[in-house]
Amino acid sequence: MNRQLGDSLDQARRDAGLSHGELWLRYFELGGMSTALQVEAFLYGALRPTASDHDVLAHALNERFVELGGNHPVPYSEDADDADEARRIR
Amino acid sequence: MSASVGPLDAFGVTVGFTGDQAVVGVRGEVDLLTAPELAAILTAVIDGGHSSVVLDLAETTFMGVAGLRIIEAATDRLGSSRGGLSLRSPSAQVRRLLDTTGMAEAVHVAHDGDVDAVEVEEGEGAEDVDDRLGPEQTASVPGTPVTVEPADPARQLRHVSAIPAENDVVDGALRLVVALAQATVEGADGVSVSLHRHGRLTTVASSDQTILDMDADQYATGEGPCLDAAVEGRWIHVESLDQETRWPAFTAKARQRGIGGAMLSTPLLAEDRPVGALNIYSHATEAFAAKDQDLASIFATEASAILRDAGVDVSDDQLASRLADALRTRQTIAQAQGVLMERGGISEQDAYTQLRSFSQRTSEPLGERAADIVGSTQRGCQVSPAQPEAAS
Repeated sequence: MNRQLGDSLDQARRDAGLSHGELWLRYFELGGMSTALQVEAFLYGALRPTASDHDVLAHALNERFVELGGNHPVPYSEDADDADEARRIR
Repeated sequence: MSASVGPLDAFGVTVGFTGDQAVVGVRGEVDLLTAPELAAILTAVIDGGHSSVVLDLAETTFMGVAGLRIIEAATDRLGSSRGGLSLRSPSAQVRRLLDTTGMAEAVHVAHDGDVDAVEVEEGEGAEDVDDRLGPEQTASVPGTPVTVEPADPARQLRHVSAIPAENDVVDGALRLVVALAQATVEGADGVSVSLHRHGRLTTVASSDQTILDMDADQYATGEGPCLDAAVEGRWIHVESLDQETRWPAFTAKARQRGIGGAMLSTPLLAEDRPVGALNIYSHATEAFAAKDQDLASIFATEASAILRDAGVDVSDDQLASRLADALRTRQTIAQAQGVLMERGGISEQDAYTQLRSFSQRTSEPLGERAADIVGSTQRGCQVSPAQPEAAS
């Protein structure tokens, strides 16, 4: 489960065209408190972020998708309990 | 450090120096994702005054048009100087690319073992290249076939290590850390970075001469916050150098210089080992609050690592301001959280969720929303978090 969550986050990072460094900077900008290495571990599913950490990361990705003309495809923690909900693009 | 896992593992850049010549080794694939890192490092090397740069492509498994643009840009920048840019040991794929894009016309063919390898010419050829880089044109330009031998690469290259401590990329990153720390840590009057080099501590970046002297005093006396941080990896917070008793020789010198305020020394870590320190000086005593210390440590340990690992182009003014913006936005969001907490009697986390949900609903960036909320308190009007259009 962790693995899947991580994979989809890293896939989203790639889809958003962000390097690990740039994503970390955006996450940091939005108030994230984890190190770059930890964030990378979240992305690969090696570490499980707290719900709030996950949401900051998800939001950093989603703001990037908005810049690219998209919506908010990355689910937040309140969506993630329900897989169908999580897949639903708002 | 952070590059040790993941699909981008294959890509890596090494930098070595022999005399005036810089040798940049490129491993793996140079594509849209990895090209910025290579560009940043090349830029930093050239900014550092190296007029002769060898791009060693022996371990480059793939290069796309993004890589060609970098070669072209570096050629343009180095063109008028003595050494210029040389390509060494390009693979068959890279040579095909040079060929089909017409860039082959702008390169010299060197024989096996020739140290100069392939040299990109500056001049009319290089200008022509500009028009030939578009993908749609790649097939239409007949280039002279490049017949570079897959040179048994002049393997002196193999001794280069991954981004040596002396290189310009690191120095550029550290200068940026200094500038940003001074701009964002409240109460910071001077900032410096000390680094272990050649077995001793050296100040590699400082905001002014006084700070440079203060660091030098610590090296000379063999004691001080900077040494404790850089050598022992300890985080040092001095509320008042005037009152400080731990380093009598250093503080005596500081008093002679008329500096008696607060000081913050945060270790810079590489692989969990202290390699240097970020030093922040203030004229005032007790100048640094807990959040300044947090900011300094996050900044010292993370930003310098990120800048190095991501190969971010720290010589780029735009990027410097981007980093400064990120820190400002972060602070604005924290302020907005405070406003919402006070207004709604809610927790810090709930305040953040409110901001984030608003941003999610309206696609307005969270940072802008936060700035509206902070601005509304300064103008004395209320902006409800649920209100879709914030007054501006």
